[in-house]
Amino acid sequence: MARFADPHAMQPSTPGRTRTAPPQLPDDFWSRPRMRTYLLFDATGIVYLLVGLVALRVAWALKSAEAWNALLTSFANPGYLLFHLIALVSAIFVGVRFFRLFPKAQPARIGPAKPPPRPVLHAMLYAAWIGITVVLLAILGGVWP
Amino acid sequence: MAEADVEVFRHDVIVVGGGAAGLRAAIAAVEADPKVSVAMVSKVYPMRSHTVSAEGGAAAYVPGSDDSLEKHLYDTIKGSDYLADQDCAEYFVEQATPELTRLEHWGCPWSRNDDGTVATRPFGGMTVPRTWYAADKVGFHMLHSLFQHSMRFERIVRYDEHFVTKLLVDDGACRGVVAIDIRTGSIRLFLGRSVILATGGAGKCFPFTTNGTIKTGDGMALAYRAGVGLKDMEFLQYHPTGLPGTGILITEASRGEGGYVLNAEGERFLVTRDYGVGQKAELGPRDMISRAEILEIEAGRGVKGPYGEHVLLDLRHLGEAKIMAKLPFVRELSRTYIGVDPVYEPIPIRPVVHYMMGGVDTDIRGATPIPGLYAAGETACVSMNGANRLGSNSLTECLVFGARAGVEAVAHAKSASDGNEARLLAEAKTEGARIDNLRGRKKGGEKIAQIRREMQLSMERGCGVYRRQESMQQTVAEIAPLKGRATDLVLEDSSKVFNTELLQALELVNMLDVAEAIAVAAVARKESRGAHACRDFPKRNDAEFLHHSMVFFAPAGPRLDKKSVMIGRFQPEERKY
Amino acid sequence: MADSPEARGGGEMRKRTFVITRFDPDKDQVPKTQTYEIPCRPEWKVLDALNFIKDEVDPTLSHRWSCRMAVCGSCGMNVNGEPKLTCKTSLADYGDTVEVAPLSNFPIIRDLVIEMDGFMDKFKAVKPWVIVAKEKAAEEGTYRQSPEQLAVFKQFSMCINCMLCYAACPVVAKEPDFLGPAAIALGHRYNMDSRDEGAAERNEVFRGEGTVFHCSYANECSEVCPKNVDPAAAINQAKLNAVIDWATSFVVKRGK
Repeated sequence: MARFADPHAMQPSTPGRTRTAPPQLPDDFWSRPRMRTYLLFDATGIVYLLVGLVALRVAWALKSAEAWNALLTSFANPGYLLFHLIALVSAIFVGVRFFRLFPKAQPARIGPAKPPPRPVLHAMLYAAWIGITVVLLAILGGVWP
Repeated sequence: MAEADVEVFRHDVIVVGGGAAGLRAAIAAVEADPKVSVAMVSKVYPMRSHTVSAEGGAAAYVPGSDDSLEKHLYDTIKGSDYLADQDCAEYFVEQATPELTRLEHWGCPWSRNDDGTVATRPFGGMTVPRTWYAADKVGFHMLHSLFQHSMRFERIVRYDEHFVTKLLVDDGACRGVVAIDIRTGSIRLFLGRSVILATGGAGKCFPFTTNGTIKTGDGMALAYRAGVGLKDMEFLQYHPTGLPGTGILITEASRGEGGYVLNAEGERFLVTRDYGVGQKAELGPRDMISRAEILEIEAGRGVKGPYGEHVLLDLRHLGEAKIMAKLPFVRELSRTYIGVDPVYEPIPIRPVVHYMMGGVDTDIRGATPIPGLYAAGETACVSMNGANRLGSNSLTECLVFGARAGVEAVAHAKSASDGNEARLLAEAKTEGARIDNLRGRKKGGEKIAQIRREMQLSMERGCGVYRRQESMQQTVAEIAPLKGRATDLVLEDSSKVFNTELLQALELVNMLDVAEAIAVAAVARKESRGAHACRDFPKRNDAEFLHHSMVFFAPAGPRLDKKSVMIGRFQPEERKY
Repeated sequence: MADSPEARGGGEMRKRTFVITRFDPDKDQVPKTQTYEIPCRPEWKVLDALNFIKDEVDPTLSHRWSCRMAVCGSCGMNVNGEPKLTCKTSLADYGDTVEVAPLSNFPIIRDLVIEMDGFMDKFKAVKPWVIVAKEKAAEEGTYRQSPEQLAVFKQFSMCINCMLCYAACPVVAKEPDFLGPAAIALGHRYNMDSRDEGAAERNEVFRGEGTVFHCSYANECSEVCPKNVDPAAAINQAKLNAVIDWATSFVVKRGK
């Protein structure tokens, strides 16, 4: 164990009366499987930022037909395809992890109502997610209504 | 020899020990007087105190039930084999309900009935269920509730991880304590007009005990060396259901919820054979059940295991749902520490040392004969438990007499005078020098662990569940040279910062003093009463031995004395269930 | 491991090597390690090995422990990099070499002993006691609390203050102000207790400097908790409550 945590981690408000060694972390703290998953989860924030910038670009391209066509052409670029694939995988990854952790963040009861049991809650979340995705795809694909 | 630099701290009341009794005393003290300043000096952070391991429950009369104060009093007196002081026991049962109620107001999560009232469960030796419980972790919940409640009082100043090495008595009264600040190794003088000892018992004098490593009888030894008598030391409670090997406690509540105790033949021997518990069977008093288990093992009906012979506690018939609702901690302990899942298999159990009925001589106010010195909880012997304590009485006792000692300590502090500070400081410096010489004392011949082991084995041989005059006398003869050898300990650790070897050496000396008092008192009681079962004198002898034993420190060896028992409305009769 | 033959005392004695962190502020600039090889009984926990080393091999090793039954919370340490209660961690789960180090994220006082007062500060900051406008007298009897009301906070009251969650939390490692899992779980326990009326005060603390919103739901605290307190659940429930409390504070007048 040689890695350092923040030198002020868990420091008491009144300094201790003997010299202490700084707080430490195991060498492999950040590379352990669960921690790697968590870091990836937090890192998807960068993906959202980029998706946001892309959305701005799409909005900007609404100004004329030529701009729109130019946009669609550029989206066929393999780079953009890869980016959108990564964004899709990130969204699914985050969604699955978030749904897994969601039930226990629910209050035990709101007034007289109690949240549904964990499997029901999971089913409701996935149903809503997949349902909305299907509906949006149908609308945007021109298939429905 | 350089003089130790001693920092001085001044408070009105000093509480030594941060368990249920100590915390309750501190809270009572600050509530009694808004201007009082209380020091809480404990060798561990308070939530580590051994109160935390208590599992079963705390007894008190529930208003509106078919219980009564008189029934609780009778059960307690009878359970004590008529050695309890009945006025103290009466005060106890009267204060029990208000104390547990106050704790409930302070957040203790007592288990509930469907209608929202506090639930109770049957317990050993109680004629009516009156044991309030919090699943099977009552000590944990009580300790944490008390500790967290105590944090709201700025006038309770905590000195965590400070080990008290000496009580200071000056001009006939207690004036304070000397303690090692474990963190820095420096010596500190705590001046106070009242001192309350609440340091628990001394189960670690024995090899198999439910007690944690901190239960080394420090407060008892401090008072003993200061000249206070230790009362009824021969009465050691062996809890009938401890795990073999580790000694970890399996709560009496497992029997309260309907568990059976079986021998190797699967027989419920407490029912089928006459061990004096009658109809109560598994819910008989602890001393009788422990003795029954030992007799079964001696008769060859014990189960052989890797840690010696034992009997079995069968919870299978309760079913998984009930075990998980009422005894989840029992299941966890059994699986982790003995590899047995009680839902499917009976748990191996044997009697293990659990509690000391005896302790520092106090009266109903929690006061020792030295003015300004008080004691409460397992450290004290009021006596409320006499020769045998009923399960679930001791947690309530900590609250009742902790509160009383706190109030009395404040009253004393108001009227008392201060000692001669120069003299006290000089004494503290001398004590500091003694500690500094002990630390890292490389030129010794005896190892701490070795002497501790020998003491524990000797106590197990002489002061077991069943005792013989011969084996008790042998233990007395073995302890004295051990004390001598303990003056020649070798200590390797010369560091001042967090030196736990030094603490172990000091604790060993405390344990030896307490062990000697136990053994000497045990030899002197030539009868069988309560938890003291002497094979040479199998009957109770009220004519000659209806008194408390007292052991006083003397340089030539412990001096014995007697103290009379306060008999109230319950005259001693044969103790049959 | 529970239910294992080793837990029952079966199996053989085995030599194991322990690599233990040592630090004496009077002698050492920085912590170092020391290696001990000792014979171990099959049913031993890591704590038994440490106690054997202290009693028989090297009395200068300092470590905290007391109850040895996983209820006092003293013996938390890093075993092979993971925060564990050493009295509950079987050697049978490990190989020939076991590394024992002090708990992560805490200043180190000596050897395996960490500075706990930082935790005690955060603990006290959440006001972990029952706050009521009018104290009830003992004569008035206990509060009525149904088993369902008890069940709402019961789990969060099981914390033994072992601080494994602080050692596991990546935010505690990097954000010194963060209140931390155990403290927030305890504050949340009182907020959810039907007898308590102090949620507004605690929610202010939850939104204050040590804010619950530092938590990014790594869930490591709940993974290492030996008592299944699930502090991650408490923190994330507390987040919701803190927000609701903040919103309602504009609508409902607060007396102080």
